[in-house]
Amino acid sequence: MSQQRPPSERWPTGIEGLDRILEGGFLVACVYIVQGPPGAGKTILANQTCFNHAATGGHAVYVTLLAESHSRMFAHLRRMAFFDESAIPDRVYYIGGYSALEAEGLSALVTLIRGAIQKHKATLLVVDGLISAQESSPTHREFKKFLHEIQTLADVTKCTVLLLTNAERASGFFPEHTMVDGVLHLTDELSELRPLRHIRILKLRGSAPVRGLHSLRITDRGLEVRPRIETRLPHDGVNEELVASGSKLAFGLADFDEMLRGGLRPGSITMVLGSSGSGKTLLGMQFLSEGVRRGEHVVYFGFYERPEAILAKCQRVGIGGLKEGVERGLARLVWHRPVEGVIDELGESLIQTIRSVRPHRLFLDGMEGFERAADFPERMSHVYSAIAQELERLGITTLYTSETRELFASTIEVPITGLSAATQNIILLRHVEHRAAMLRVLAILKVRDDDYDPRMRELRITDDGIRLLDTFADESGVASGGGLPSDTRGRESEA
Amino acid sequence: MAKAAQSILIVDDEFGLAELLREMLRESGFEVTLANNGRLALEILAEGTVDLVLTDMMMPVMDGAELAAAMRSDERHRDTPIIMMTSLPTARPQLEGLFDAVLRKPFTPDLLLETMASCLGDEAKRN
Repeated sequence: MSQQRPPSERWPTGIEGLDRILEGGFLVACVYIVQGPPGAGKTILANQTCFNHAATGGHAVYVTLLAESHSRMFAHLRRMAFFDESAIPDRVYYIGGYSALEAEGLSALVTLIRGAIQKHKATLLVVDGLISAQESSPTHREFKKFLHEIQTLADVTKCTVLLLTNAERASGFFPEHTMVDGVLHLTDELSELRPLRHIRILKLRGSAPVRGLHSLRITDRGLEVRPRIETRLPHDGVNEELVASGSKLAFGLADFDEMLRGGLRPGSITMVLGSSGSGKTLLGMQFLSEGVRRGEHVVYFGFYERPEAILAKCQRVGIGGLKEGVERGLARLVWHRPVEGVIDELGESLIQTIRSVRPHRLFLDGMEGFERAADFPERMSHVYSAIAQELERLGITTLYTSETRELFASTIEVPITGLSAATQNIILLRHVEHRAAMLRVLAILKVRDDDYDPRMRELRITDDGIRLLDTFADESGVASGGGLPSDTRGRESEA
Repeated sequence: MAKAAQSILIVDDEFGLAELLREMLRESGFEVTLANNGRLALEILAEGTVDLVLTDMMMPVMDGAELAAAMRSDERHRDTPIIMMTSLPTARPQLEGLFDAVLRKPFTPDLLLETMASCLGDEAKRN
């Protein structure tokens, strides 16, 4: 009979994303190096961990070896939500170790740390400024001996130790990394004009960390770590049965639904591709409006227009029911400013929303919002694939818009990569010049494994809603801007 | 005959601040001794006369409250003024009575000298 090993005991950092990539937190009685350049967030990470640790009944001792005084550090931390002064000094205790280090060297520092752990019954110890200990060490051997003593101390007292240092890993191999149980590397860099912070686990004994770079932000809430979205989503199979069967989801536009042979298949993903002002958002809102009318749960997730503005616009053009849907709890409108470098935050918000609402219909307005928030553009196809997979797994019928860069062109470039592979249907919207007027054109380019009407229709936005007209009935080359004049006048049919 | 300078004991584990205070008080005419924890401070107190103790709260080995309690229970130092220097906004209720005054870090040199003068019966100001 095989015996199951008990799970290793861990102290969570209390920083949700960090605990996720650390597989639950720091192991009890283990020693970790947290390294990175000044301003990367090491001190905040350590203090946040201390206060979260104290809030769950632990005792933390924070030893500084730096010139920064505790009062200056507190002044900076005071604005952070996690900083609880009432926990000081009973549960979080701060001492300066630099004078002992200066006067008597590393052995005095070890004595000071040992005394502090015992006196305050510390279960978490932070040594901030390991570089000072390293610099005051006469030989490299002495410094390794110091680390070994800290390790022994951690083991005997069952105290988890975080050693903060400025050392840059890029400069080469650091022997102290071999002596500790984990190394967390924080970075703070510029990508062109954009500031990007990341955290990376270089080493983690006894754990299976989520490897690679993860985005990191410092706010008044403290440090926020967003594990890469593509590493967080389950890789379960797609609900093929749902996609293949079930009632189609209509737009509530009779002509358009007829073109789609009833609507969109449940669980499918549809791209609405079009130029600016071509009617993409309103078509998406029409899709949601019809869902609300049928009593379904719907979600709008967008980046550019605020929900109030969109609802007002829908009211103006006769796309009704959404405001009431919000009030009835059927419709949820989520708006995000596309913040630089936080694609994982947006991804998490989207996933959390759809997991909590479990909507029948989702409208993602402006997928480019994700791209603008991307830290590394080369990640985008992985991010989109992961999101698409999750949408399919949850069986959510999704419509997303993607903006073409050219208003009038003979070719159409699909600006989104990665997601298009998971997209079953494509609807094209664009402007064309026709008889000295600019008209909106709608056409279905693709419906996977289903019949559809390939005709081009004029899309007209009126005070009574969206209407489709047969303006281009006998013309060709309309979409590429080369429509031929026809003697046939457009036959109008109200949608 | 010139009056002897008053002797101040600074007890603080924050090296930079203790050094700074020492220089500042020396320039103001005080004799200054440093200790980086409460136990070392008690050893210095046992060796000679100290007119006033300026102590940090959180320190290794022995903290400011323990130092003050030890001084208050020793008749040799019972009446020696003690000023607590703390980074925390409020003094804890159980510390009341142990200290003659509380200074919140960071404080200005003027406030320090004023508080010391008050504790020393205005002698510091005259120095």
